[in-house]
Amino acid sequence: MTPAVEFQSVSRHFGAVKAVDRVDLTIAEGSFFAMLGPSGSGKTTCLRLISGFEMPTSGAVRIFGEDMGTVPPNRRHVNTVFQDYALFPHMSVRENVAYGLMVKGVDRRSREARAEEMLALVKLDGFGGRRPAQLSGGQRQRVALARALVNEPRVLLLDEPLGALDLKLREAMQDELKSLQQRLGITFVFVTHDQGEALSMADRVAVFNEGRVAQVGTPEDIYERPATRFVADFVGSSNVLAPAVTEAFGGPRAWASLRPEAIRLAPGGRVRGTVTGARYLGAGTRLEVRTGALPRTPSDHHDGGIAVLVPAGAAVPGVGAEVALDWDAGALHLMGEEP
Amino acid sequence: MHSDARPPLALTLAAIGGLLFLHMPIVLIFLYAFTTEDRSYQFPPPGLTTEWFAVAWNRADIWPPLYLSLRVAALSSGLALVLGTLCAAAMARARFFGRDTISLLVVLPIALPGIITGMSLRSAFAIGDIPFSTFTIVLGHATFCIVIVYNNAVARFRRLGASMLEASADLGANSFQTFRHVILPNLGSALLAGGMLAFALSFDEVIVTTFTAGQQSTLPIWMLNELVRPRQRPVTNVVAIVVFVATFLPILAAYYLTRGAEETAGGGK
Repeated sequence: MTPAVEFQSVSRHFGAVKAVDRVDLTIAEGSFFAMLGPSGSGKTTCLRLISGFEMPTSGAVRIFGEDMGTVPPNRRHVNTVFQDYALFPHMSVRENVAYGLMVKGVDRRSREARAEEMLALVKLDGFGGRRPAQLSGGQRQRVALARALVNEPRVLLLDEPLGALDLKLREAMQDELKSLQQRLGITFVFVTHDQGEALSMADRVAVFNEGRVAQVGTPEDIYERPATRFVADFVGSSNVLAPAVTEAFGGPRAWASLRPEAIRLAPGGRVRGTVTGARYLGAGTRLEVRTGALPRTPSDHHDGGIAVLVPAGAAVPGVGAEVALDWDAGALHLMGEEP
Repeated sequence: MHSDARPPLALTLAAIGGLLFLHMPIVLIFLYAFTTEDRSYQFPPPGLTTEWFAVAWNRADIWPPLYLSLRVAALSSGLALVLGTLCAAAMARARFFGRDTISLLVVLPIALPGIITGMSLRSAFAIGDIPFSTFTIVLGHATFCIVIVYNNAVARFRRLGASMLEASADLGANSFQTFRHVILPNLGSALLAGGMLAFALSFDEVIVTTFTAGQQSTLPIWMLNELVRPRQRPVTNVVAIVVFVATFLPILAAYYLTRGAEETAGGGK
């Protein structure tokens, strides 16, 4: 099957800055694909390379097998939900949604009927006559979504779609976007710096770091088997172990990750240590344990301290208590060097 | 800081005095349009009459300068609207070497004394062997009218933001459609305000006009000449009222237009 979007060794340099550097990506049709990374990692530039607002310095961007070359944004069958929504303030909500059809020359009656359908799809029936300024942030977000979907794009791009919403609304919109994507069956590509959002919504995640893709995989891959130190650090709260620490923990001399929930308190465990801090999280308690045998590595933030998640209901040792830690042999996940 | 205490009497008097000093001459100009004495300005006027409006209406020498002034103001603000908007569009969207310098050069004519603009244009026309005409006056006025339009338009362009233009392109609009459906409606009131201010500035301009008009006279120049000759003096005052209305109303309208636009744009965020 032809992938919806394909990056073949794509670079986008701004002078000396390599915003995107030799990126290869394949986004399958019908998938919910997340581009995850800190700001400045190149994820937004990649999105703009798909929408056509950026042109690659080298390499090729293909949409459904067709090389986009210098095809301008208005001739690409992809649409974008912008981070700030970019609604037209001088138009009503209905006119905003119908805009894509208007510039195509669709007559007023049919485009307005279609706009109302799209508004119903995003649960904004009856809001057509209002101005964007009269809507709440969440409602504007839905208008932007309806406006981008009215042209029936085969790929929908979302730039930090939930960034401007408060927590409660964000969670509701996550579910809604996910179900909308499944109902429409089109490819969603969304950019986010929020790992929780990426892991919960996407079926594939690309983690970006300094213009390169550090890892592509399912959320489980990314979370449980991070390919690099950066991914382990950025995604979730895993313990990242320096080579010396891994060795002391009974592994080979290599970088490794060890998830807090994979560690249990067991007398006669592999490593002994002292509890230096505890944080109650509701579903459990997160302990900071200093494993005194380990050397401090000044170049790294892991100076032998390790996070352990004690599940709710289990006895929680107090700060200062001596504990022994144990884990299953497979829990220590080794990582490659940074590319 | 707000204070409920009454300001000192001296300050109140000084403020009233300052306002009177600024505005009494204008009131006097209006008053003398109705005087019965037509040779000298004596106070108080010996009597009041509206006959000078009829006299002014029937004076054949008023109409050509009035038409010329209206034509020049319309043409130069029209020219300024086109060039000022294009210039603002380029400045707001592009980043290039020397951009700040060019931006300064565009705004400079408003800071330059009119006498310098006038002299340089006059010598330029002489070198280029261009005879004085309506066209030369329009060119002279356009130098400062463009600045007014540019300043209004560039501020609005900045507020428009890049993402709205990108959204339009993303939805399939070409550049012309984006301009027609997104840029122009958002720019409209700024352009109208800029155009009206430019019209008002051009309508009562004297200095640059003296250097570029040749034998023709615009309404302000006609008035200047008329003041020297003591004949039917109140007619000049009647014309002054016309000039006042023709320039003050557009400025007032421009003020309300831009103020309203800021409120609606601010409501969006």
